[in-house]
Amino acid sequence: MQSPPKAMTPRAKTGIPVLDERLQGGFPRPSTLLLFSDKPTEKRLFGENFAIQGVKAGETCLYVDFFRAPQLARGELKRFGPADPSKLVLVDATSSQLLLPSREKYHIDNIDSLATIREAILAAMEAEQPGRIVVDSMEFLVDRFPKEDVLRLWRELIEAARAARTVICFLFINWTLMERELDEIRAMSDFVIEFQSSLRGGIIRNSMRISQMESNGIRTNWIPYTFRDLVGLTVYFPRILVTGPFNAGKSTVVKAVSEKSISIDRMGTTVAFDYGNVNITGIEAEVFGTPGQERFEFIFKIFAREVSGVLLVVDASHPDELVRARQMLDLVGPRIPYVVLANKSDLPGAIPPEEIAHRMNLADDVPVIPTVATENRGVRDALLILAEMIIGVR
Amino acid sequence: MLGDATKILQGILTELRRMPAVLGATIARRDGILIAHALPKTMDPKKIAAMAAAIVGTSEMAVVEMGLGAFNSSIVDTHIGKMIATGAGEEAILVTMVRNDANMGLLLLSVDKAVQSIAEILKAAEVAA
Repeated sequence: MQSPPKAMTPRAKTGIPVLDERLQGGFPRPSTLLLFSDKPTEKRLFGENFAIQGVKAGETCLYVDFFRAPQLARGELKRFGPADPSKLVLVDATSSQLLLPSREKYHIDNIDSLATIREAILAAMEAEQPGRIVVDSMEFLVDRFPKEDVLRLWRELIEAARAARTVICFLFINWTLMERELDEIRAMSDFVIEFQSSLRGGIIRNSMRISQMESNGIRTNWIPYTFRDLVGLTVYFPRILVTGPFNAGKSTVVKAVSEKSISIDRMGTTVAFDYGNVNITGIEAEVFGTPGQERFEFIFKIFAREVSGVLLVVDASHPDELVRARQMLDLVGPRIPYVVLANKSDLPGAIPPEEIAHRMNLADDVPVIPTVATENRGVRDALLILAEMIIGVR
Repeated sequence: MLGDATKILQGILTELRRMPAVLGATIARRDGILIAHALPKTMDPKKIAAMAAAIVGTSEMAVVEMGLGAFNSSIVDTHIGKMIATGAGEEAILVTMVRNDANMGLLLLSVDKAVQSIAEILKAAEVAA
């Protein structure tokens, strides 16, 4: 077998650090990705992001677009920031339908012929040796041609990509296929990335999850994500709660972890909430710090909804407050991932993390991280650990 | 001396309470601790102190964020009446609850006067202590 063309890393990065870490550096070459949903959902963003990340890494990327005119596609791809347009090779499937001459090097001249489509894509793959291929999208073909023929083409493309040691990525929304055929398509893929959107209170939340189709492959939880201009796809936690007993250092934690933060505090204590916006290594999060004193529990209840994860801050030098910490945790509700921050761990009389875990009667898998929030020590690590717990891996 | 201050504060609240259409009044510290109150029995004065502190704190930060200058008071309007939370010196707030048929001009004047007295009393008490 050929080795990957040069200027190509052995793994195709997604550009989302937490995911790349889970994938041991990215998707292996060669591999086949299926971007799947059973309802119309934002899948294209991932496909586009994946292509542009490749271009930014110096790879050539082939983007087969059945829906958009190439001028439009190129315009929309500019949202992801500067990328060499010559490295982004489009296969134009729309100009011929509009009876316009194509300005792209590769174009499908007869959209009603599966053979023409096949030849155009394979010719582009042969000539350009792309590091990544995105096919946007397969339902366009499934809607127009007999499914046996489409599945045959699908397999041929996978084989060609495998021979060229590249990553091929198929967008697919299922309208018409039966579960049996779907299983077949899943089995043809190495990774299935599922997408879902929900609308709650007027806000659209997008999330995705990855599963590897091997018997002991990786699998993630639903990962919420958003799009940032010029950056691309970002993991996004709409609410991380920072809570804990009075005077544990919650506001300082929010401040330490955030780029921008605001604290509504009076006379040294938080009376309403602390708010911060976190932006680290491909993760964006809104962090809300609650007041610690019992008289502000009504505020806590306002913010303790739709929580992605909890940073529970305790004062390691005041072990008598640990009971209250445990109570606050129970207020958030079960099954929400949390990390305990053993704050003020530099003060005399601070008890070690193991002791805190023991006294709070925590499960073995709950991380207790020693921190000094005033010096920004350990706080960011705790947040990254929490992010990994939310994303999850099995 | 401190006991005297509390008595005077209580007097200010009682006076406010005597105005027509006033439902109740409370003095709280800005961090949500109750100082004195003249509230109907159905209300929990501690809870109201904490909630008013949160409203005032949030409002103050909001006006700073909006570039609207110095904070005077937060007015919460409901179908029954209004809640007026006014800053009283550096450390305290005065919360007044009124029915909708109140003479707001007269009322706000009295609240202003009360707030000034509260600020002075608390300052004097602090110096004495």
